[in-house]
Amino acid sequence: MFPGSFMMGAKDRLLPPSVPYRFFVAAAAFHLLAWVLLLVGNDGILGFAGGQGMVLAALHLITLGTLAMTAMGAAIQLLPVATRRPLGPIWAIKLMFILYVPGVALFAGGLAHAVAWVQHAGATLSVAGLVLFGGLVGANLRKVGDLPGVTRHAWLAVASLIGLAVLGLLLVIDFTKGFLPDHGAAAAAHAVLAGYGFMGMLALGFSYVLIPMFVLGSAVPDVVGKRTALLSGLGLAVGAGGALAGFGPAAALGILLGLAATAVYLRGMLASLKTRMKKRLEPFFRMVWVAWALLPLSLLAGLAPALGAPLDPWAGLWGFLLVFGWLLSFVTAILQRIMPFLASMHSSALGGKPALLSHLAPKLPVDIHLGCHVAALVLVSTALAGGWVWPLRLGLIAGLAGAVAFGVYTVEVLRRYRSHMAAAAAAAAQQG
Amino acid sequence: MMAGDVASAVINEAGGPPEWLSLALDASPLDVRSLLAQGVDPFATVMEAASGIEFGGSLVIDAPFNPSPLRRILAGRGFSSYGRKLNEGHWRVFFHLDGGVDWESGAEVDVGPEGAMTWREEDGLHIDVRKLTPPNPMLAILRLIERAGPGETVVVHHEREPHFLAPELAERGWRIARVSSEVVNVRLWLERMS
Repeated sequence: MFPGSFMMGAKDRLLPPSVPYRFFVAAAAFHLLAWVLLLVGNDGILGFAGGQGMVLAALHLITLGTLAMTAMGAAIQLLPVATRRPLGPIWAIKLMFILYVPGVALFAGGLAHAVAWVQHAGATLSVAGLVLFGGLVGANLRKVGDLPGVTRHAWLAVASLIGLAVLGLLLVIDFTKGFLPDHGAAAAAHAVLAGYGFMGMLALGFSYVLIPMFVLGSAVPDVVGKRTALLSGLGLAVGAGGALAGFGPAAALGILLGLAATAVYLRGMLASLKTRMKKRLEPFFRMVWVAWALLPLSLLAGLAPALGAPLDPWAGLWGFLLVFGWLLSFVTAILQRIMPFLASMHSSALGGKPALLSHLAPKLPVDIHLGCHVAALVLVSTALAGGWVWPLRLGLIAGLAGAVAFGVYTVEVLRRYRSHMAAAAAAAAQQG
Repeated sequence: MMAGDVASAVINEAGGPPEWLSLALDASPLDVRSLLAQGVDPFATVMEAASGIEFGGSLVIDAPFNPSPLRRILAGRGFSSYGRKLNEGHWRVFFHLDGGVDWESGAEVDVGPEGAMTWREEDGLHIDVRKLTPPNPMLAILRLIERAGPGETVVVHHEREPHFLAPELAERGWRIARVSSEVVNVRLWLERMS
């Protein structure tokens, strides 16, 4: 008996589990492949300032292959439930996957081996998948008015997606045509929109729903989400504009606005954590702490080159802390939690007892992943800062070992879920 | 049922009615059950009726369930309320415009920290989490099942099927035993797993 509530229940349906899981498995596979490429092309990492090769390919396997892929898989299942509106037809979601996965693989292959037509084909398919994703999310959010914390960030993510896709396509064409006046400046703006804009805004928006839900903390007040969206939007516009124009003071102002948004966001999250019912945080939250610590650190690292510090090592350090520190830590933390969570949601479909979250999620692989991921962050950051080869190689080996452990975790969650469903089907058949 | 019958039914309940109830008994009930049966959300009709009430006046609503979110919303506009289940599928709620100082007085309804209303009926412990901001519905439900007695059923009044709740219930040895979907009231019966 309240406005807009009529027939709410009919629209929030679950997708077949195979639909989101194909995105999660692809994300784990690209994660592994990225570390392999980094290890193979490790001699190009120190002093990296863009350009085709293994490092740029690995970077895109993480950003497009792992981060965006996870965002897609999570959004297609969580957004319709949160907004109570359907995301779109399943065929459109499957088409998004069919376009996007080979697109990312081709694009990374084309970058790794500097083959222009493969890059172009991969970029076209990837952008088509991303545009389809942006369109589905945009259509879903159009009439949602009661989740301002989530929707404002999602709109900023969609706007950033348009900007990063346009710049990304221009950068790819520029590799062969060389028409951009400053390739590095365009690449920096592309990185800002991709890292803090598209992925960062999705991470903040989803945080306001997922973190309180996973820790059973109180809802984050709408005013927090409105403030972070406003500060982030201004920061992204000024920061990306400054980077594109090669005007350091504007980029620095954008970073300061980003730091202010981060402070408001973290304060809101910590306030929710303080009220939580779960006194003992689950293992995935250790990775959230790492991500939260590295978000402001990445912004501070970005401040140095914006204020005139040399690009080597600051640009590399900034990019590494942004992509591998803040975003990859956060995304793998969320992936670690939502894979068994969604499996548990689906596990009573045959009428039996639902599978317990604690039974679906093996702890050893995530412990190994955490240790290796943190070691990789420390060692590679140290190597980038000091220009040392051996810490870099050790860090890359640690990162690869962590990615293997995360892959094992992904496979094991699915194996346990399928085993539960097989037992439930057998029990149902016996009763029938 | 006449107003006098209601009064006597209400007065016989433990806790007793609020003092202002005698002023509300003469008001004709606005019965929204037929609107809901047609699939029409009666919120606008109720709010229009409420907007015509002057300070000290009363409004009476007949509904097929305890309209907890409406009571919360009208409390915010200064209405105290007092509700009773007259029989299966028939609640009568009396609203009195007095600043909402004792809007839950005598209603035998508890309001939890998340704003969820809980009350007891013959079929179990009821909780209404409609219109709460996520994840507060989940918090309120989990808090309630932690204090539910052995063998007690918890009946949740929700505005949609809470898919995210099932894994947390399972972790605590509970399950969704049954779901019924009506207009603006999805009901879930939660039970301990055997």
